[in-house]
Amino acid sequence: MLKLFETETLALDKLTDEQTAIKVKDFSVWLNNSLVLNKINMRIPKNKITAMIGQSGCGKSTLLSSFNRMNELNQKYAFSGEVQIDGRDIYNTKENVAKLRTGVGMVFQRPNPFPMSIYENVCFGLRIQGKTERRMLDDIVETSLRNAALWDEVKGRLFDSALLLSGGQQQRLVIARALALKPEILLLDEPTSALDPLTTLHIEELINQLKKTTTVVIVTHNMQQAARVSDYSVFLHQGELIEYSDSDSLFTMPAKKQTEDYITGRYG
Amino acid sequence: MRKFNAMEKQTISSFASGLSAAILLIALISLVFFIVLKGSAYFWPSQVFKVTTYDKASNEVSVFVPSSVDIDEFTAALTNKLNEQFASSKQPIPLIAVEKVDAIYQINLHSGAIQHGNFQQINTPNSEIYQLAELNDVVASVAVFQRELREIQTTYLTVLHRKIAQLNQSGVSEKAPARLKELEQFTYWQQKADALSKKIAAYRLIFIDASGQPIDILVKDINHLFQPNMMSLFDKVSYSGNKIIEFISESPKQASTSGGVFPALFGTVLMVLLMAVIVAPFGAMAAIYLHEYAPNNMTTSVIRICVSNMAGVPSVVYGVFGLGFFVYTLGGSIDSLFYSDSLPSPTFGSPGLFWAALTMALLTLPVVIVSTEEGLRRVPEGLRAGSYALGATKMETIWKTVLPVASPGIMTGVILAIARAAGEVAPLILVGAVKFAPSLPVDGEFPFLHLERQFMHLGVFIYDGAFHNQTNTQGSSMMFASCMLLLLIVFILNLFAIIVRNRLRDRYVRI
Repeated sequence: MLKLFETETLALDKLTDEQTAIKVKDFSVWLNNSLVLNKINMRIPKNKITAMIGQSGCGKSTLLSSFNRMNELNQKYAFSGEVQIDGRDIYNTKENVAKLRTGVGMVFQRPNPFPMSIYENVCFGLRIQGKTERRMLDDIVETSLRNAALWDEVKGRLFDSALLLSGGQQQRLVIARALALKPEILLLDEPTSALDPLTTLHIEELINQLKKTTTVVIVTHNMQQAARVSDYSVFLHQGELIEYSDSDSLFTMPAKKQTEDYITGRYG
Repeated sequence: MRKFNAMEKQTISSFASGLSAAILLIALISLVFFIVLKGSAYFWPSQVFKVTTYDKASNEVSVFVPSSVDIDEFTAALTNKLNEQFASSKQPIPLIAVEKVDAIYQINLHSGAIQHGNFQQINTPNSEIYQLAELNDVVASVAVFQRELREIQTTYLTVLHRKIAQLNQSGVSEKAPARLKELEQFTYWQQKADALSKKIAAYRLIFIDASGQPIDILVKDINHLFQPNMMSLFDKVSYSGNKIIEFISESPKQASTSGGVFPALFGTVLMVLLMAVIVAPFGAMAAIYLHEYAPNNMTTSVIRICVSNMAGVPSVVYGVFGLGFFVYTLGGSIDSLFYSDSLPSPTFGSPGLFWAALTMALLTLPVVIVSTEEGLRRVPEGLRAGSYALGATKMETIWKTVLPVASPGIMTGVILAIARAAGEVAPLILVGAVKFAPSLPVDGEFPFLHLERQFMHLGVFIYDGAFHNQTNTQGSSMMFASCMLLLLIVFILNLFAIIVRNRLRDRYVRI
């Protein structure tokens, strides 16, 4: 399988705290009183791409959205355990959730641009933080759009409605919107499942660029994609973490039978 | 009865539903057609017929009768009416003759009254003129005198009167030279004004009515003089145009049977706008609470059901509530707190514009809440999630992303509210709309918008007209003209709101 960028592989069980972006400790989640995640323990390495794979309903999206507390928007939500970012439990009672989310960006399955101009979409998070200085906004908009590989396509119509863009452009705009806040961690929830193959490739390239500065966690149903873009992969099944290792070994010689069954397509 | 097969059932059901739709359409079109037909008769100049009645002794009595139909139809209708009237009595049916008199004049007076007659002469203080062509000169000179009179009244009489009143107030003795001087001046100008008035009153126009009696009309009272039976189509159209302008720009005259409906039009629009300003934010905020903040439990459901039920409460109940709570309780308290000087005469403690707008806002609140909630429900979850994921708080999310997308829903509610409030009558009679208001609720006097004043409303105007003008053709056609205007206003307000809504929709909801 093709790897766009070759990087050195870290041993996951020997990660130091400096090398760790997210540390998950005995983390369990109940949604509507049923257990969705059962005592997950893992460390997600800094400035790497980590993919989460598993069947629908295995809890991978729930785990992903636990990293920026988007889970709480569900009405019946309960949890136990810890999620640490920068050595701080983000579920502590004094945590400023809005501020947490500016550091941990998230992109969803369906592109969800706001009904505003392209420019305002990218500025949205900055404006909320009270940043209004025009020149700074201009700079950040340009850098973010460049980083999201969208600048060349939209530079002439920054003030047109974002809703006029195509699906792939919208998804890149949403990524640019998240990048404008310079997040340390970017969570991608099946970012390409609603897009065509060519646009998917575009976005995958983009993800690979991002890891220079950002830790990326991506949920995907597409095994090839996981193998293509990720440095590490984690396989979840019915709320349990089954296997977690570097992608090369997970996809070529999985340690567990369940993992092998899933990646070779023997699961439903 | 024989059974229908599936195909026949299909045909029958589609025919029945099509028929219902057609009936509905016909009902709608005929309603609009009827109102427009009856209403436009108010603007179109009527022809004038001379109706002569002969009794047993061949004594004849003649009258001029204006009519919007042609002579044959008019005669037939009149004959029918007489036959009906005399069918039960033993008296013989009187003979009638209807003729169209071409040279007849119609005189529209400033007071709104209408006279018909043949021209005889113009009386001036010095001479008698027998050419109507000279009327324009006479009118011009009367106008000059009138202007003079007005000038005397405003620049001298009122000023002097005020001065004398001031002197009286400050206790200056009756014989003081300053006071005598003012008084002398006042008498001088007063005499001059009287002389002018007398002079103006000497300009008169004499017409002969159908039975040969003279009609004496002051020249200054004449608004418009024309020959209705000799008008060309162009004349008629321009006459109608003037009538339409008069209708929407002037006050009612002759106990609301002629003149215009401007105060009612103004009152309706002002009340509706005031109501929209009150109801839109309240309704939207209530809906936001119900949809975004309230927990999804029994209490919320009960509140929702209550809101829907509020929409079904008869409007007169809202009127009674408005009168009892807003006017007497709230208004009474405001009076005793802020306007205690002018008590016992009420300021806010009587029905008025603000209370009417508030009552109508309460009445239309459920409509706005329900449609705003509908709009909020249509906001995609992804949009909210996207906003939260960028570090927005709940309030920022609602203000910056949810509300813009839900705004067409709010507008829909406001549209429905406007249409309802513009056409409502029963509650308005109780809380501030009257059939004649001496002054508009907006004028040049501070604070310009007088929320405590009573106002006129087209719906109430029509209601009143329908009661009191059943026998008067002119009056009832004015009522229909008002109906037409009310339809037009509701239509325009709706159209405006729909345009705004579609703009919002284009801007925010193309997802």
